[in-house]
Amino acid sequence: MAPTVLICDDAIFMRTMVSDILQQAGFEVVGEAETGAQAVERYKQLRPDLVTMDIVMPDMGGIDAVREITKFDPDAKVLMCSAMGQQALVVEAIQAGAKDFVVKPFQPSRVLEAVQRVLG
Amino acid sequence: MKLDPQRYAELFRTESREQLSAINRALLLLEEGGDPSEPVSVVFRAVHTIKGMSATMGYHAVAEFSHELESVLDRVRRGDQTLAPDLMDALFASADALETAVDDASEQAAQTPAMIAALQRLRDVAGGSATSEFPAMQMPEGGVFDESPAPRRAGHEPRTTLELVAAADEVTRPGARPTRHVRVDLGRLDALMNLIGELVITRGRLLQLTATSPDPALDEAMQMAARLVSDLQAEIMTMRMVPVWQVFDRFPRLVRDAARQQGKDVHFVVEGKEIELDRSLLDEIGEPIVHLLRNSIGHGIETPEVREAAGKPREGRLVLSAARDRAAVLIRVSDDGRGIDRDRVLERAHRLGLVDESVKELDDAALFKVIATPGFSTVETVSDLSGRGVGIDAVQAKARALGGSVELITMRGEGTTITVRLPVTLAIVRALLARSGVERYALPLTHVRETLEYDRDVVQFVKGKPVLVLRDEVLPLLDLRDVVRQRPADDTPGAHREIVVIERGARRSGLVVDELIGQQDIVVKQFDAARDALALFSGATILSDGAPALIMDVGSLFEGS
Repeated sequence: MAPTVLICDDAIFMRTMVSDILQQAGFEVVGEAETGAQAVERYKQLRPDLVTMDIVMPDMGGIDAVREITKFDPDAKVLMCSAMGQQALVVEAIQAGAKDFVVKPFQPSRVLEAVQRVLG
Repeated sequence: MKLDPQRYAELFRTESREQLSAINRALLLLEEGGDPSEPVSVVFRAVHTIKGMSATMGYHAVAEFSHELESVLDRVRRGDQTLAPDLMDALFASADALETAVDDASEQAAQTPAMIAALQRLRDVAGGSATSEFPAMQMPEGGVFDESPAPRRAGHEPRTTLELVAAADEVTRPGARPTRHVRVDLGRLDALMNLIGELVITRGRLLQLTATSPDPALDEAMQMAARLVSDLQAEIMTMRMVPVWQVFDRFPRLVRDAARQQGKDVHFVVEGKEIELDRSLLDEIGEPIVHLLRNSIGHGIETPEVREAAGKPREGRLVLSAARDRAAVLIRVSDDGRGIDRDRVLERAHRLGLVDESVKELDDAALFKVIATPGFSTVETVSDLSGRGVGIDAVQAKARALGGSVELITMRGEGTTITVRLPVTLAIVRALLARSGVERYALPLTHVRETLEYDRDVVQFVKGKPVLVLRDEVLPLLDLRDVVRQRPADDTPGAHREIVVIERGARRSGLVVDELIGQQDIVVKQFDAARDALALFSGATILSDGAPALIMDVGSLFEGS
C-alpha cells in the first residue's frame, strides 16, 4: 500500500507541485489543506503517513499547526516547507515537532531526500 | 521526475492574479482606516506566495521585486514602519507594477520601469531592504523543471499490520475525504457546451421522430434519454456559472484611482456580488462596465466643491449592482451626479443632424439613442479617463452582441442610471417560437413578459394606429409581419392570431404573431454576416425538426418605435 500524505499550503501552485513530486514517487495524496486550522483538522481525520507543511498560511500558521498536530499525535511525521530566508522560523518549527524541512523553490530531488529522512 | 512547465506557468498566472486582487482589496481596506493588522497580513501573505511561485518558475524579476516588497510589509507587520499615506501610494504603485510584471513574466524578463519606479518610492518612504535584517533573496542554482535524476520509490513500509489497518480504516471511512477540485481549461468547458448544444438539437429531432411511434417501450426510453439530456445540460450550465464578484472585485481599485485622478470624492458600493453569470458572458461584460464606471466618475459625479454648492453631500455615490430578473441578469451602474444635460445633447444632435429640428425635447429612450450613436459626445475636451465618450456606443454594441440590451434613466441634477440586461447564459437560451407566415422566429425569453390572444377587446385604435390595452396600460403594438416585411395577414374574421408582450427596461410593447408554437431551448449560433443589415436578428438556431430559424433581437424592436 502506498504511503499517504497530507499537503498543507495556501497556494494551489505549491500544493500541485508537492503533489506532483510525491505522486510520481509513489505516494498517495489523501488530502490538502489551505490553512493551519484545516491542516490540524484533516490530520486528525486522515491520519496520513506524512504531512508537508508551509509556514506562512492564514488562520493559524504552519508552526502552530505542527504544535497542534504533534500534541495530538507525537509520532506525526511533518516536513516543513519554508521559503528562503526563514531559517529562524525553521528552527522554531523543528522545536514545535517538525521532523525536517525543505526550502522553496523546490528541487524535486531535495524534496524526496527530505521525505526519505523523515519517514526513516 | 517530470513536471510540466507549461501547466505551472498557467497556474502561476491564475493564482498570482487571485493574490493580486486580494492585495488590492486589502490595500483599499487599509486606506479606509480601521484595524490594519489583518489586511497587512493578507498583503504580506499574498506577496509571499507570489514570491515563492515566481522563484520556483525562475522568474527572477518578479521574485526579487516581491522579495523587497515583502520585506517592507514585514516591517509594517511588526510595527517598525508606519502606514503613512505616501507609503500607501507606494504600495498601490507596487501592486500595479507587480500586476503587469506577472502577466508578462518569463525567465528572461528584466524588471520593468514601473517596478523600478515603485521600488524607488518604497525605498524613499520606507528605506531599502538592505538596511533591515530581512534576509537577502537567493534563487536556486538549477531550474526546477530541468532536473533529471532517476525517480525513486519512497521506501516507506507500514511498520505493523495494526497501523496499516488503522490507517486504511481512517481513510476509507465515508465522508472522511475532503471535497476535491479539478481545474479545467475553459476551452474544454466551451467544447462541452457546444456538444451539449448539438445533443439538445438532436434530442428535439428524436422526440419528434419517435412521437408517432406505436412502440411504448421506445417512447419510454426516448423520454428517459430526453430527461437525462436536460439534466446533463443543466449540470454543464451550472459548471460554467461564476459569481460576478470575480470580475467586480477589481472595480473598487479602479474607481478609487479614477476618482483621485479627477479630484472627485466617490463612495463606491457593489451589490449582488454573488449573482452568477455564464463565464464567457462575464468576461465580455467587464470592459463595458469599466466604460460605464469611468463615465460616471468623469462626467456624472461633480467635484466636491460643485456638489457642496448644489446642496449635495461632498462625497458622490456610485453603485454597481447585479440582480436576477427571471431569465435575465440586470447589471446596473448608478450615480448621484449631475445627470445628462438634455439641452446640450439635443443641440448637438440637431447640429449633427441626428434628430429632426422639430424635436424640442428628448425623453430617456431618445436621449440614449442619440448618445449611443457612434462618435457622439457632449464632452469637447478629451480626458484620459473616458476618452471622447465613445463608451456608450461600445456598451450598446457589446450588450446587443450578447443578446442583451441597455437602458438609461437620467435626472438633471440627481444622477444617471444605466442598466444592462443580459441573458444568464450565452449558448443555450430558452425562447418562444412564433410563426409568421411560413417562417418561424425565436424570441428569447430574456425580453418576453407575457403572451395573450389577439382579441378585439384588447386591441384598440388610436389615431388609426393599433394599440394594446393591457390592465389599464396602453402599449404600442407591432406586427411581426411588418417587422420582417412580409405580406400583411388576411384580416378575415376568425383568423386567429396571438400577441407577445415584449419588454426592454421600463418599456413594453405588443408584438402580433400568427401563431405561438411554444417554448424551446435553442442553441444560439452567432452569425457575423452584414451586421447592420440584420440588426433585427441576434443569431440563428436549428429547430427540432432540423429547419433553421432566426433569433429576434427583441431589444432592437424598440429602436424604431
